Amino acid sequence: MTVTDAPLELTSGDEPPRRTLGVFARPTASTGWRSWFTSVDHKKIGVMYGATALFFFIIGGVEALLIRAQLWAPRGTLLNADQYNQVFTMHGTTMIFLVVMPIGAAFANYLMPLQIGARDVAFPRINAFSFWAFLAGGIFLNSSWFLGGGADGGWFMYAPNSTVTFSPSNGIDFWNIGLLITGIASLTGAVNLIVTVLNMRAPGMTLMKMPVFTWMTLVSQFLLLFAIPVLTSAQFLLLFDRNFDAAFFDVAKGGQPLLWEHLFWIFGHPEVYLMILPAFGLVSDILPVFSRKPIFGYTFIVFSGVAIGFMGWGVWAHHMFVSGIGPVSVLVFSLATMFIAVPTGVKILNWTATMVGGKIKLTAPMLFCIGLITMFTIGGLSGVTHSVAPADTQQTDTYYIVAHFHYVLFGGAFFGFMAGFYFYWPKVFGYLLNEKLGKANFWLMFVGFNLTFGPMHVLGLQGMSRRIYTYDAGYGFEFWNRLATIGAFLLASSIALFIFNIFYSKSKAKNLPNPGPDPWDARTIEWMIPSPTPVYNFDPVPTVERLDDFWYRKYGETEDGRLVRIASTEEVTQSAEGEHNVHLPSPSYWPLVAAIGLPIIGWGLIFTWWLCLIGGLLTAGALYAWALEPPDDPEAGHDHHPHEGSAPEGEVAVSDAETDEAGADREVETVG
Amino acid sequence: MKRFNSTLGRIAIVASLVLFVVLWVGMVVAGVTGGETEYQLTTLQPQGPFSTLIDNLVAPVFIIAGVVFVGVLGAIFYIIMKYREKGDPELDLTPMPKQTHGHTAAEITWTAIPAAILAVVAVLTAVTILDLSAEEPDSVQVEVFGQQWWWGYRYDVNNDGRFDSDSDVETSTELVIPVGRPVQLSVTSNDVIHSFWIPALNGKRDAVPGMVSPWKLQADEPGVYRGQCTEFCGLSHANMRMLVRAIPAEDFDRWVADQQKPAPEPVTEAEKAGLSEWKNNCGSCHLIDGVNNQQLAENPAALVSGIAPNLTHLMSRGTFAGSIYNLHYPNKVGNDQPFGATCTRDTLADCGDPADVALAGNPDNPVYRPALEAWLRNAPAMKPMAPDQGRGMPNLGLTQDQIDVIVAYLETLK
Repeated sequence: MTVTDAPLELTSGDEPPRRTLGVFARPTASTGWRSWFTSVDHKKIGVMYGATALFFFIIGGVEALLIRAQLWAPRGTLLNADQYNQVFTMHGTTMIFLVVMPIGAAFANYLMPLQIGARDVAFPRINAFSFWAFLAGGIFLNSSWFLGGGADGGWFMYAPNSTVTFSPSNGIDFWNIGLLITGIASLTGAVNLIVTVLNMRAPGMTLMKMPVFTWMTLVSQFLLLFAIPVLTSAQFLLLFDRNFDAAFFDVAKGGQPLLWEHLFWIFGHPEVYLMILPAFGLVSDILPVFSRKPIFGYTFIVFSGVAIGFMGWGVWAHHMFVSGIGPVSVLVFSLATMFIAVPTGVKILNWTATMVGGKIKLTAPMLFCIGLITMFTIGGLSGVTHSVAPADTQQTDTYYIVAHFHYVLFGGAFFGFMAGFYFYWPKVFGYLLNEKLGKANFWLMFVGFNLTFGPMHVLGLQGMSRRIYTYDAGYGFEFWNRLATIGAFLLASSIALFIFNIFYSKSKAKNLPNPGPDPWDARTIEWMIPSPTPVYNFDPVPTVERLDDFWYRKYGETEDGRLVRIASTEEVTQSAEGEHNVHLPSPSYWPLVAAIGLPIIGWGLIFTWWLCLIGGLLTAGALYAWALEPPDDPEAGHDHHPHEGSAPEGEVAVSDAETDEAGADREVETVG
Repeated sequence: MKRFNSTLGRIAIVASLVLFVVLWVGMVVAGVTGGETEYQLTTLQPQGPFSTLIDNLVAPVFIIAGVVFVGVLGAIFYIIMKYREKGDPELDLTPMPKQTHGHTAAEITWTAIPAAILAVVAVLTAVTILDLSAEEPDSVQVEVFGQQWWWGYRYDVNNDGRFDSDSDVETSTELVIPVGRPVQLSVTSNDVIHSFWIPALNGKRDAVPGMVSPWKLQADEPGVYRGQCTEFCGLSHANMRMLVRAIPAEDFDRWVADQQKPAPEPVTEAEKAGLSEWKNNCGSCHLIDGVNNQQLAENPAALVSGIAPNLTHLMSRGTFAGSIYNLHYPNKVGNDQPFGATCTRDTLADCGDPADVALAGNPDNPVYRPALEAWLRNAPAMKPMAPDQGRGMPNLGLTQDQIDVIVAYLETLK
């Protein structure tokens, strides 16, 4: 951690006269609604990721309901073919890039620094930029609805159907440029989170003492770091084909459509694992809390995750079993895909073994964890059935696949996220979500989910193709489609119940005491600190001695595995009271401004070039100003007095020399 | 109130679990029975040797998956019921359970067992992949070409390895094959990626532009076998269907001989007028062998794919427009004699509902004129297409008189 001193001095030695800039003066507010726009606090950014993702989840959910309503009966007339193609394309794109990935980012941002005892992420301003770029990309993508229609090529956007000849509207340009923007967000975020995990852990926290969620964040961010550039390069080919008359995918001019398929799935399959691994991490951390036992086989849980991360790169062509890549390739990828089921199975069995012999407390978060384990098991098994390549030639691009990946991504990832929401809500917002409503939420979601996606297994095996806006009577599709549509609306109502629970519990919370630092009798160190998390996270940063360090501050373990209470929770948790002289990075406008420029460049590429100029100047200017701006506001940071205004005590920033655990609690900020 | 809530909650939980079990049992039953026989797209009722090969592989894999499914979910359910904290969950949880951190032997066991099971599946899979990619001797050679949003077929009748010799046959929309004989397909595309799939006869194979991918089919019984394009191919992807007619070998030979003939000359005044209208309105894209070969050779169809369905023997097909409309009356349900049992113009009541495309039109039955006329009146209204972008058939703005004579002419194209 000592690496930080030199750059800090270097940058803060040169102080620009910000006071004279008037409205452009560096922002100082750390509370109030304005502070959200300039905050570099990983917690606020995490919350914004989550809130934005839930907003996009509602949009993607409405698109899903339109799809299901259209398929309620044969020859549905709610949507026409063109509208339906746009809706399913945007549903998939939204759910993957604007919902599941950002919710993973939300947890990683908020939680991972707390789990490793850090003050913030390594590059707080880059972190803010990642979020704003993601939001900018999401808005850009969805602005297509008002500017000529959404993309209509499917989320996988196979060429040449995605080239101008076959899709002359601007929808695919919006898709392409929008995902380039969110790709920037993902890449910068990945670098940031990887550096944070590797460099900013509390003293004593070796890699094998990290909570599983932190491990899975590390693995999934590495996947992201290597996967996004592959997608980006494919997208640049498409961009040049569409916007500058290149011919990468035009057969007549020597192009090769399979190039897109390969590039897309080399990105696309690691993508699947990077979406699911954060949820696996959450479950691995929550399950032990409510089983009152440590995770079974921590090492195996961690290394199966790492193994999935590595093997995930060698299975992409199982998306292409029918594309004509030849029997040898099919065979190799078929076998590779089967064996990726092994580490996945290891995880499921370890989770199950964690519960064996425990005292299982069936709280809402625990129910969602169990939901993940069981529903993901189904998704995993159907996955094995189509790793069998000849079987896949019957199943691929049918509703059987739709069923499979929704069991993986909704039944897996999203149930895990729901567990995370219910579990971490008090830590983030300082009040518990209502348990009864939470359980009702789970059961409604469980039933709705199975009714929606279960029947799709049958539909697929009965031959219902994916991505069709209409089907005829007489093929046995009617009954199961009807069930799925009913299920989809139940599923939507379970989301509505969740949102209701948020507001209901908040209104009730006024009359309830603060849940305290550790409402669940939890295990990992983020539960040592007050709820909601104070702005400085830890004071002091704890020295970590073992896995589940917080737990073992409360409990000792005898030789025969009996627990002995050695300290009360109050004794080992931190208090928000008193002086907290913690030095924190200063807020900044520039990440937001730099991100705002990106979609303007995008609109310019589609509509008129001078917008590119404006957007480019905005982004470049913001980056320039950012480069000149020291990571910490010298006027705020080193003056030994509070900001003007009424910043609460806890947020007073003082010299980093005064912090107590020698260097460990100083934030590492070099160029961020 | 609290008690009432908890009772209600318990009922809801049990109801949810029962629903879950009923749903999955129902799905397994639907899967095992494979649905009703008239579900022509089902993958669960193989009708040929290749689909049977796949089915023989799928069945044990599903059984293994089913056993694991029941085992794991059952174990989890049992563990939860056994170890769950009974009573009020808000109460203190002491005494704590015995703490276990892991068990290396157990880990190795449950790594090795799935790996062993998968190794068995892997061997079966490898054998099947090789079987399915083996060349079949004495097969009918057919080039399958997909384009937005219909399929065309060329038969290499003289077995010279080419599909464009004089004696070769080109048709569209419906693939006619002989029963009991393997058909070797060369699958390709003229525009975007499509996927050719007849679930009852084999899995699917993508039609990729610039690539020719081998695939094969074989039907054990005469009949109609349905398919659906499964690679998203744009606007009318849902309306790009396939239809295979498997007919006895001697009928097939006769069919090939018929297809080799050029179109007959029109006889009546209406037919002659129809031919002239057809040349003016349709002949710049569609081909009728013996009518406009020269014209299309000099000025190919102004379509992105460069080709429109070959209409030379239109009336030998039961369906049209990507097999989403019936060109002829179908046979009634239950009258499952596929190719020959007929109704006549006077006995239309013996035919099935011609609008029911799941009952494929039978080319021996009378023409179902309403569908054909509606198509000629405004094709894009019958099937979403993008004619202004060179993808699909435009609305030609024909008058009823023009339509009448064109239909009269088309009806001669047996």
